[in-house]
Amino acid sequence: MSISERRLSRSDLLKAGATGTLGLYLAGTARGGTLEIEGTTLNWLTWSDHYANDQLKAVNKAIGVQGRPTLFSDNADAYLKIKQTGSQFDIVSADGLWVPKYVKSGLTVPFDLSSLPVSKQLYSIARNFPFWKAGSNYMAYPFSWSTVQIYYNPKYVKTKPTSWHALLDTKYKGKISLENIPTDVMAIAGRATGAKKPYNMTTAQISRAKAFLQDFKPNVLKLASQNNEVVRALADGSAWIGITNLGTDDRVKDAGGPVVKAAYPKEGTVGFIDSENMIKASKHRDVFEKFINTTEQAPWIAKNFLTNGRPLFNEKAYKILVNQGHGDRARRLLYNRPDLALKMTIKGPAGNEQAYVDAFNEVFGA
Amino acid sequence: MAREAEAVARHGGLARGLYGVWAVLIYVFLFAPIVLLVAFSFNANQYGTFPFTGWTTHWYGQVFSDYQIKDALSTTLKVAIEVTIISTVVGTAAAFPLVRSRLPFRTGVRIGMTLPIMIPGLLIGVSLLILFTSVFHFQLSPQTAVIGQAVYTTPFVLLLVAARLQGFDPALERAASDLGANTYKRLRYVVLPLIGPAVFAGALFAFTLSLDEFIITLFLIGGHNTLPIYIYTQVKFGITPEVNALASLLLAASLVLIALAFVLPIAARKARRSLRPRRA
Amino acid sequence: MEDVAAPVTPARTAETAPGRGVGAAVGQYAGFLPALLLYGVFFLVPLGLIVAYSFWQTIDYEVVHDWTFDNYRYFFSVPTYAHTLWATLWVSFVATAITIAMAFPFAYWLVRYVPRRWQALLLVLVILPFWTSYLLRVYSWINILGPEGAINRFLRRIGLIDQPVSFFLYDRPAVILVLVYLYFPFAALTLYASLERFDWNQFKAAMDLGAPPRTAVTRILIPQMKPGIVTAVIFVFIPVLGEYLAPQLVGGARGVMIGNLIVNFFSGAQYTRGAAAALLIAGLIVVLLVIFRRSLQVEDAYGTRG
Repeated sequence: MSISERRLSRSDLLKAGATGTLGLYLAGTARGGTLEIEGTTLNWLTWSDHYANDQLKAVNKAIGVQGRPTLFSDNADAYLKIKQTGSQFDIVSADGLWVPKYVKSGLTVPFDLSSLPVSKQLYSIARNFPFWKAGSNYMAYPFSWSTVQIYYNPKYVKTKPTSWHALLDTKYKGKISLENIPTDVMAIAGRATGAKKPYNMTTAQISRAKAFLQDFKPNVLKLASQNNEVVRALADGSAWIGITNLGTDDRVKDAGGPVVKAAYPKEGTVGFIDSENMIKASKHRDVFEKFINTTEQAPWIAKNFLTNGRPLFNEKAYKILVNQGHGDRARRLLYNRPDLALKMTIKGPAGNEQAYVDAFNEVFGA
Repeated sequence: MAREAEAVARHGGLARGLYGVWAVLIYVFLFAPIVLLVAFSFNANQYGTFPFTGWTTHWYGQVFSDYQIKDALSTTLKVAIEVTIISTVVGTAAAFPLVRSRLPFRTGVRIGMTLPIMIPGLLIGVSLLILFTSVFHFQLSPQTAVIGQAVYTTPFVLLLVAARLQGFDPALERAASDLGANTYKRLRYVVLPLIGPAVFAGALFAFTLSLDEFIITLFLIGGHNTLPIYIYTQVKFGITPEVNALASLLLAASLVLIALAFVLPIAARKARRSLRPRRA
Repeated sequence: MEDVAAPVTPARTAETAPGRGVGAAVGQYAGFLPALLLYGVFFLVPLGLIVAYSFWQTIDYEVVHDWTFDNYRYFFSVPTYAHTLWATLWVSFVATAITIAMAFPFAYWLVRYVPRRWQALLLVLVILPFWTSYLLRVYSWINILGPEGAINRFLRRIGLIDQPVSFFLYDRPAVILVLVYLYFPFAALTLYASLERFDWNQFKAAMDLGAPPRTAVTRILIPQMKPGIVTAVIFVFIPVLGEYLAPQLVGGARGVMIGNLIVNFFSGAQYTRGAAAALLIAGLIVVLLVIFRRSLQVEDAYGTRG
């Protein structure tokens, strides 16, 4: 190739690249533009099972408010995000005893629950959680709940594990999968070792919990970063036991896996109660109630149950599910027993989070 | 040309064959997961794993109707382009003094300027998060993510351009200067065109890195989403093959771009040649 | 076209350097300005903040400006972190060694046996997987290595086994394999760039003088490739040290690397502990870079090394 020809091809390359880039940029700007014109956008810091894409679309169509979800991996992470980013988010999905913490830190605002027509569809017990009451107002809009229990594959696990300590059996070496949330894993260990307040353990209790985890560690196959990884591990047989939320058995079956059964450890367990909270610094607080009122309607909640398989607090949705013929499944997954939500240790901020993470790391390091 | 490997007599066909086989194995290794990725985008199994429960294009349909994907895609592209521009300009400009000036502690400076790619991305993300929220009280937005990514990608551009500048034959510039060119003319007509490919390679690399950048972006993007973050969130509670379909479409798009980049110059040259009057 | 003769002595460039005097000096360093701004404000200042954080405390999810050495002291008070770091160094070392060993013959093939005009295309194909998602590529490996994955299915289909072999998924070998997969392009590109600049005339001369190909390779090629190889090692080893996503996805409980432990601090809102841990790792990396600074040396236009 002569020099002129070589330079020609190079400049052509650069030109092609530049044109392509410009095209991409304009295309990107154009699409990004349309999103902003349609009414208000509410930035929603949440878990991925709190919404469905078609639901958000329909809500936008109905009231011109577009929910835009951002996900988080840990309650402490979400709390910090809201603290740091002020008015960037409009709604946050807070869990259990985190809700009062958000309010106390001035990050979220209680509201009059009864002023929301959709709240009448909720179980009355959900409208009256004592730890979410703020005078005549309510701190959060209740959404879903679940215990964290043991799911086991009866083909390999011959005796039903009725205690956390049953999981220490060397038969299960490298066969247990659970989610990598240090605070909650420590709380479970606390529950297993008799701590009265698993989320507020004394140093001695933390040591006991840590010792339990140390015995437990050889049996751990995987500390999953996502819930569905636990499902997958159970489905493809890598794991015989999973420590995870309600509905896992259905999800494992859907994923083409074997039948797994639930077992509730006698020492008790932890669980979450999820809710939607209005952020104080949000610029769209007036829109919050309208959005919740439309998004949390029973038909959507019923659909949510069918997709995710854990109980929710919308009673009207339960009736819909029964009418559709899913009553058995709903009852099996404790949908109609919201009172059980109060029997578990509800997740919340740890009294000494640093000690919890320290202990967890010390166990699960290499 | 002196450097052409072809100038050297090759080993026998055996060596060539063996190396060729190795190359094929490498490509198989590189693309096996990709092929699987694409295959699963047609899998009716909603968990995106084996077994194959059926063939469907349902997920592709979902991708096109999913507004979140469009939002994430446009944000990703905008961010990537801004990052590419910033890091290419900054990196190229910094390459010149790094190579050409008599700087004391040049290696130290070089280490300093490549430090962002050496330390864990987590550190860049967290430190900038603290800077933006606690010190500047900025809102987190795609713009803050651009800055974070640019800090990470600039060293790559810098290294690529500096490497090219280092091997740059000073005789060329001297010749131009002897012919009367000033600094600007030397840069424009001699240096820049010849380091052009290195700059382009750097830009391409920066663009590529930005497209898939996840860790730094996660901290700095606030309420918005880029594709890697969107995929991460989808994977959180249940990966549907919709993400596979998305990835496959992106792959297809990049293949088209690459094909164009390679075919266009050849086609252009052929067109020029056919237009040029034939020599007698 | 005649071969270019011996390289021109660099010293002469000084005569036609872009002018002399203060103006010229400023002009010389002007290129640093944008970089100084970007790095100064958005890299060094935040780093300084992180250093401060590492000496502070987190109480009740709030950062409290109490100065203390406690965070650093903690990491030396329990064996876990040193142990995990050692395991991480080992995994990184093995992954790097394998990556370089795989990439070198590939780069050699590309430079020696592939016609020039196809080289760029084949290189781009190596980077192409980068244009899909990191997460999905790693997930794909789970689909290959898992008990219900491609390999096991194949082995069962051809009757070699009837129960799925766990194929070391969720363990260290899987982490190494995936890391090699993810960082191969870095090594391949760097080695290619270095090989590409090699003057094959020297090779030819050696062979003309009677040296067998293997001697030519070991006595001439490899020594000149050394800076390139060291650069490739640095580009793979050091980022791998800080990896946490891939180990978390495919490593299971046995494949934990130091990055995983650090991330646990940050997701648990313990920024002060996390900052100290991250800085310790960064410090280790800087030490390694200083030890290997020879390969990062820059030769300036005057032929002096800095």
